[in-house]
Amino acid sequence: MKDLKNAGKFYWHYLKRYWLTFLTVFVLLGFATYFSVKAPTYMGKAIQQLAEYLGKWMNPMTRKAASFDAFNHTMVIFVLLYLGNAATMLISSLLLSQVSGKSTGTMRIGLFRKMQRMQVSYFDQHSDGDILARYTSDLDNIFNAMNQALFEIIMSIAQFIGIVIMMFNQNVELAWVTMASTPVALILSAIVIQQAGRSVDRQQDDIGALNGYINEQITGQKIIITNGLQADSIKGFEGYNQRVRQSALRGQIWSGILNPLLQGLSLLNTAIVIFFGSWLVLHGSLSQAAGLGLVVVFVQYAQQYYQPITSLTSLYNMIQLAITGARRINEVREQPDEVDPADGKTLDGLKSKILLDDVHFSYLPGKEILHGVNIEVDKGEMVALVGPTGSGKTTVMNLLNRFYDVDSGAITFDGTDVREFKLDELRRHVGIVLQDPQLFSGTIADNIKFGKPDATDDEMIDAAKQANIHDFIMSLEEGYQTPISDENSIFSAGQKQLMSIARTIITNPNLLILDEATSNVDTVTEAKIQKAMDNVIQGRTSFVIAHRLKTILNADKIVVLKDGDIIEQGTHQQLLAEDGFYAELYHNQMVFD
Amino acid sequence: MKALLPYFKRERWNITWAIVSVLVVAFATLWQPHLLQQVLEAIIKKDNDTVFNNGIILIVLAVIGIVAGIINTVYSAKIALNVATDMREDLYKKIQTFSYGNVEQFSASNLVVRMTNDINQVQQIVMALFQQLTRIPILFIGAFALAIMTLPNLWWIIIVMMLLIVGVSAFSFTRMGKYFGSMQGMVERVNTLARENLMGIRVVKSFVQEQNQIKTFSESSDEMRDLTIKIGNLFSILMPAFFLFANLAMALTIYMVGGMITEHPTYLAAVTSFISYLMQILFSIIIGGFMMTFASRAVVSLGRIKEVFDTKPMLSFPDVPEEHLAGSVGFDHVTFTYPGDEQPTLKDISFEVAPGEMIGIVGATGSGKSTLAQLIPRLFDPDSGEVTVGGKDVRDVNEQSLRHAVSFVLQRATIFSGTIAQNLRQGKPNATLEEMNWAANVAQSAEFINRLDKKFDAPVEERSANFSGGQKQRLAITRGVIGKPDILIMDDSTSALDARSEKLVQQALNKELNGTTTFIIAEKISSIIKADRILVLDDGQLIGQGSHAELVKTNPTYQEIYQTQKALEEV
Repeated sequence: MKDLKNAGKFYWHYLKRYWLTFLTVFVLLGFATYFSVKAPTYMGKAIQQLAEYLGKWMNPMTRKAASFDAFNHTMVIFVLLYLGNAATMLISSLLLSQVSGKSTGTMRIGLFRKMQRMQVSYFDQHSDGDILARYTSDLDNIFNAMNQALFEIIMSIAQFIGIVIMMFNQNVELAWVTMASTPVALILSAIVIQQAGRSVDRQQDDIGALNGYINEQITGQKIIITNGLQADSIKGFEGYNQRVRQSALRGQIWSGILNPLLQGLSLLNTAIVIFFGSWLVLHGSLSQAAGLGLVVVFVQYAQQYYQPITSLTSLYNMIQLAITGARRINEVREQPDEVDPADGKTLDGLKSKILLDDVHFSYLPGKEILHGVNIEVDKGEMVALVGPTGSGKTTVMNLLNRFYDVDSGAITFDGTDVREFKLDELRRHVGIVLQDPQLFSGTIADNIKFGKPDATDDEMIDAAKQANIHDFIMSLEEGYQTPISDENSIFSAGQKQLMSIARTIITNPNLLILDEATSNVDTVTEAKIQKAMDNVIQGRTSFVIAHRLKTILNADKIVVLKDGDIIEQGTHQQLLAEDGFYAELYHNQMVFD
Repeated sequence: MKALLPYFKRERWNITWAIVSVLVVAFATLWQPHLLQQVLEAIIKKDNDTVFNNGIILIVLAVIGIVAGIINTVYSAKIALNVATDMREDLYKKIQTFSYGNVEQFSASNLVVRMTNDINQVQQIVMALFQQLTRIPILFIGAFALAIMTLPNLWWIIIVMMLLIVGVSAFSFTRMGKYFGSMQGMVERVNTLARENLMGIRVVKSFVQEQNQIKTFSESSDEMRDLTIKIGNLFSILMPAFFLFANLAMALTIYMVGGMITEHPTYLAAVTSFISYLMQILFSIIIGGFMMTFASRAVVSLGRIKEVFDTKPMLSFPDVPEEHLAGSVGFDHVTFTYPGDEQPTLKDISFEVAPGEMIGIVGATGSGKSTLAQLIPRLFDPDSGEVTVGGKDVRDVNEQSLRHAVSFVLQRATIFSGTIAQNLRQGKPNATLEEMNWAANVAQSAEFINRLDKKFDAPVEERSANFSGGQKQRLAITRGVIGKPDILIMDDSTSALDARSEKLVQQALNKELNGTTTFIIAEKISSIIKADRILVLDDGQLIGQGSHAELVKTNPTYQEIYQTQKALEEV
């Protein structure tokens, strides 16, 4: 129910601007329904007139009076009604197709905009696949529902009401007969839908378990092969597979039975209407011709009567998916934005120092990661952060350009708290080279100029040269105009890192944060990257998060973090002399005995 | 579609029932208008008995139709489920015969998709096949034939209606076909942009490029929106047009009957049933069209499944008796190229290793270290040359013999969900608690296993999410050593361990498994510095071997690697 309310709000937000279109569609579909339920009465009338004509014609006395005029007149109206029906349907269908296309487009862009405003913590807590699914399957489901279901729902409801009104208009007794089976049909549908829901849930659980097993086993196929576990793996699979056979059978039967059931009921209903209708003609007060026409009309209505119910039930799934889709996209929309101070200060370059003053921080409440960290960095200094996995070194980086904010304490630039600056202003002065450097589809030039789209080609080439990647780029046929994407990269892991260094150099940041790559790079390549990094660091204030000590031996200051506390601080020589944690780390990593 | 035949053969009785019941449904549907016609004729003749009798028949027929519909659904579901489940099982068994090269060629995730989504598609289409696909042609042909029998003079109205429907469909679908082609590209572009921004959100934010990215994304999204609307417009034409044609055909029928009424007075009663048949023809065409697009997707899925069935394992093991293999390993002029690659990954490699030796393998990323190791347990066969274990060509020994002799521990430690003990017993079935304790002590995993409430019976969650990277690697090593293999290969399998634990593992291996031939592949010199011999690989070639002391003096590549790792000053 809460889902339904949320979905309602969501669609209201995106659809309210199309109210005029919707109003037009409603009016048009009202006409369409009127035309389509009115038409059978003219068909009945035409049959009746033919019967009357035949009656007159058969009798030699009245043969001369027999005339087609009335019949022809009815036929003209009959055709006009269907032409009107087709025209109104076409126009409203076109209008709705505009609305569904435009509104899903707006939703997609809205989602993307929101993503750019949201806090980084959301992306850290949700898997990429899960967020991406909102762009793909959730938006698809919403579009499908709007494109197909919306039209059919409005149409079905209108048609149902129209048929009921027309039936009562024509003949009250036959109308009641046609509608008599409705409660049975509704109760049966409700039972089947409920059973289907339950058994499909169970089926999905079992299928989920089976797919989980398949995924795990096949992803670990190397282990299965090297340990010769194929027979065991098949045995495990069979258990899951048989369970799916049992539960999916129930699920498929219950979810597949509704349609034939309703079609069958419609057949039965038509039979009853024919039976009762002809009884009424033979035993009632109607003239034979009029009775004939009436039966014909009601057969049409009886055949159409269940149509709206059938299409609504077959849309049930689609609507369900659209509600889920709306909930999932709404969940993103309701995430808090990054906090950007209203009248934030501008930042005009670092003048004297950066200070981390008694910084406490936790990702999850109650699980503090940094317990009062103090670091002072003078302009132009290089500070290295060292420590085991989980010590909090990457966290410090997250705080410096406000991917996250401190719980207490403060980070200040020349005495001003970073939270007082305009967010963009702060980030323009802080350059980052990440462990896993994401590249974007576009040319190499686009990627180097990423942070400064108006940079000149000279600036770009200069940056590439400093990052030691210029020669490689020039060796490519299309040089800087070579198209790349993150997936289909022509770069090795090491070269990708160099690209991201060039991308940072061109923005000429005051403060640099370098998070060293740890994976996929051998130490020889790492040494090359190191040279490029040294070029960038030159003359800038920098934080380097080091995973291998080799790279930071020349730092002005080495800060050793362990479990969120600074345990040692000083230059390489000083720390070696202290013979503490750093010295042991250094010996284990760097000294071969 | 052929791939389904053997499965259908097994289901022949269920299929018989499904088809018989669907025939009954179709008959009930088709016969109703005919009975209606008789009732109307009877009304004209004031024949009470015929009206009453036909009325009863109508109702009985409808009830039979409902029952048959339910029976049909049950049997269709049975067939669909049996076919899908059996096919899934056969597919899984087939994949289990694959050698590693096959799995890599398809990629694991791709195989998973075929086992899940594609099989699901097949299940859906089989269900639809027996519920709808058989019914639609029967209804179509039946309605067509009955319509002609009802009003023989007006057969051409049906043909004209069908031609118009086909014409409009052909017009919009050829148009749409063109749009769908470009649509695919646009969807991919939009998804790529979203994914890149998602994964690179820190980059976008730190370079303050949010507005530029929104602009790029909006342009692509708008392009996609415009095309979507174009396609939607074409779709909008279809339904109103179909119904208009059918309704006009209806009007034309009545009008024509009006003209003939004096010659054929019985036509008056026949008009209604003719029109009912017209509508059934229309619905058969519409549903048939939907089914066609549905079926074309299933054909693609079936093709992808068949591809797996048709794949031959890249290598097979000879049917020879199991034997014990000693711990010696030999490479004799081995050259190896990955399937699909042009350049060989290993070039003319030769070396001999005696039982009990500890061998280190170093080299840059992509130099062929892992590939070399994978040839020992015969995950791949070389293009030329020979790999021997215990003095025998690995192509001449039984699979079990080789698996017992060689244990392989990978960098990406895969621990399966279940319990720790279940994972360890993959290394040695029926391993005792004592053996597990011993192995855990060697791999330094005892320290954290003992802290768990259930010790070796502690659960492993899916994706082994309840263990850290270092713990997973230590569990993988435990599984690797528990069978006391003659040959142990560690492919960068201590990369997530801190320097101290790594040293402890090496010491324990030396002490507890000193009869075992050990291969250690590593990025860090410190991991292999104590090896009896170190092999240095560069671009697929073996360019040096010897102890650390020798190589550091003589081998330039080794020196370069060493330089990047050693301390500034000797301490």
